[in-house]
This record gives sequence, C-alpha cells and structure tokens, in this order.
Amino acid sequence: MSFFTKMKGGKKGPSMVNFSEIAWSWIGAFLGITPVAFLNTTLFHGDDLVFIIGSFGASAVLIYGAVKSPLAQPRNLVGGHLLSAFIGVVSFKLFYPFPWFAASFSVATAIAVMHATQTLHPPGGATALIAVIGSEKIHTLGFWYVLIPVGVGVVIMLIIALIVNNLAKNRRYPEYWY
Amino acid sequence: MTFSTLNECRQSITEDDIYEAMKKIPGYLDITPSDCMQLYQVAFDHAVSKLKNAIKADQIMTRNVVTVNENDSLVDVAKKMADHEISGLPVLKDDGTVAGVISEKDFLKRMNDDKKPSFMRVVLQCLETTGCIAADFNNLAASDIMSSPSIITSPEIPVLEVANIMDKKNINRVPVVDDQMMLVGIIARSDVVQTLC
Repeated sequence: MSFFTKMKGGKKGPSMVNFSEIAWSWIGAFLGITPVAFLNTTLFHGDDLVFIIGSFGASAVLIYGAVKSPLAQPRNLVGGHLLSAFIGVVSFKLFYPFPWFAASFSVATAIAVMHATQTLHPPGGATALIAVIGSEKIHTLGFWYVLIPVGVGVVIMLIIALIVNNLAKNRRYPEYWY
Repeated sequence: MTFSTLNECRQSITEDDIYEAMKKIPGYLDITPSDCMQLYQVAFDHAVSKLKNAIKADQIMTRNVVTVNENDSLVDVAKKMADHEISGLPVLKDDGTVAGVISEKDFLKRMNDDKKPSFMRVVLQCLETTGCIAADFNNLAASDIMSSPSIITSPEIPVLEVANIMDKKNINRVPVVDDQMMLVGIIARSDVVQTLC
C-alpha cells in the first residue's frame, strides 16, 4: 500500500454505544474524579500538596468509558501512571536546563517503557509530561510526585472503577489484573 | 468437507457482519471492525490448520481389514463382501502389499458397458435385454476388475487430507500402508464423517 493511499483511511469506524453505556460512563467518571478533586480543593486546600493532575481526566475516559480496553486494565492504569511519573521526574531532574528536550524525552521514554512492560496507558504520557512542564509546585515535589498525586489518585480511581463498573449489569471490570 | 468450502465459509464474513456483531456486544469495543475481521480470519485459519493436523489417519482407520488376494476368484470376493456386509475391500499381492481396491462399483462396471456404472443401469440392462450378465465372473480373478493402482495413504497423514483425496478421486475407501507398503488399515468415507462431526 502506498504512502498516500494509507492516508485515505476508508475503513469503517465502530458503532455507537447505547444509552446505558453512556450513562454508566458519566456516573463512573463523576464518582471517580470527585474524591480526587475533593482532596485537592477542599481537604488539603492551602497546603503545598497537589492531588489532581490533568492526566486523571484521560484515565477516566478509559476506566469508566472503555472498560474492556486492554489500555484500561489495572495493570495498565497503575503501572502506566507510576512508571511514567517516575520517568517524568527523572527527565526533569536530568534535563531541566533544556525544557523542550526534557518534555519530549519524558513522553517518548514513557511510551517505550510502558510498551516494554506491557502497561501501555495513554494518560501515562501526560503524567510524564506534567512532571516536566508542570507548575513549580509539581517540580518541588521531586520523586514524591510518583506517590502523591499520581499513586494516591490512581488507586482511588481504581477502587471507584471496581465498584461502579461491576454495579452495571452489562459491565465487568477488570478483564484481568496483571 | 474440503478446505475450499471451509475457506468459503471464512470469506463469506464481511466487515458489515463484524460491525453488526460488535453492535450486539454491550460496551465500547476498543477495536475497528477491520482489525476485528483480520483477527477473526487469522483465528479461523489457525483453527482450520489445527483441525487439519489434529487427527491422523491411524487414529480413525479400521485395523482388522477384510482383504482378498489378487488371485482369488470373483465369486470368493463377492462372497466375502456379502458375508462381511461391506461394499469394498483391498486386494493384496502374495507378499502382502496392496495391489488395488475392489468395490461394488468395480462389479457394476463389469456388468455393463456404460461409462457411469450404477445399480440402476444394471437393472435396466437386465430388463431391456435378455438375461443378466454375471456369467463370465466365474472365470475372473480379483485382479481382473479391481481398481489399480490403488490410491493409498500412510498412518501419519491428517484425516482432512484423506477426506480431500476421497473427494477429488471420488472414491469411498483408502487403504493405509506402512513404509514397506504393507497394509495396516483402511479408512472409509463413514470413518471420516464420524471424525469431523
């Protein structure tokens, strides 16, 4: 197949999900993000702690909206975030004088490592990137970033996913643990 | 069931079928219909090749084979087939190797000149002409009417391949021989059907 023919696409996309699927995705995401956001804005408001990062929103799409996807399984959710967070912090510490390099290096390495460890989880790329391009608050966390916000947030969202997804009649979660 | 029909089964599945199937499965499937179809096709081929190689000839063949010698008279052959209620058997040479196969079809062939011998042709011939025609059988031996060279197979050949041979050559039984060409068993059409179902 030629280079340009490939760009034409032309294949069929998947069908739309039904209403109950949409509803359960909404409920799951709402209940999953709530405790994390609550920790961030209410419980620890004023502290220097950060409990929520943007990549949690992306994880919510997967673990509440595409629960059967291999990308949404616990191994990927937890492994992908923790490994990427670590890689992000290392990238920043090593290459912070060259922010553009630290940014691209962190994301590229996160993807490679997630592939190699069979923990590919797209939001992990964002988790790695945020460690580099995040606020001063994030940078001062150092390796604590892996534990708080990333580790704590991921575990909370996983627990909610286990509860909500298994309440739905047509859902089960996870497909596998690791 | 030949491989070609199996492959037609596979190719009759379209992307639309996959799309409809995906709609029936609740929840968001993180895969495109075309990937899903590719997956299905590869899995199908895998299953077919597994089936193709899973069962070998020696697992389904009949081991105690009723045989005749090539020099046996046709009367003896007919008697043996009638006594054992079989419609065909292998013909052996003196050294025990397979010389050919003799079946009802070979008898029918001898009983009329038509290119497509059948029981009804013989009946017709009996009704339309004077007398029936088995007279010269008395002087003939098995080797005179048997089908030869015999189509044979070996014990480790997969059953589906034997089925294909039967289909292509339009025969009903295949003798199974070892390396020394000695008869070790026979596979009939019915053996194959029982295996596949």
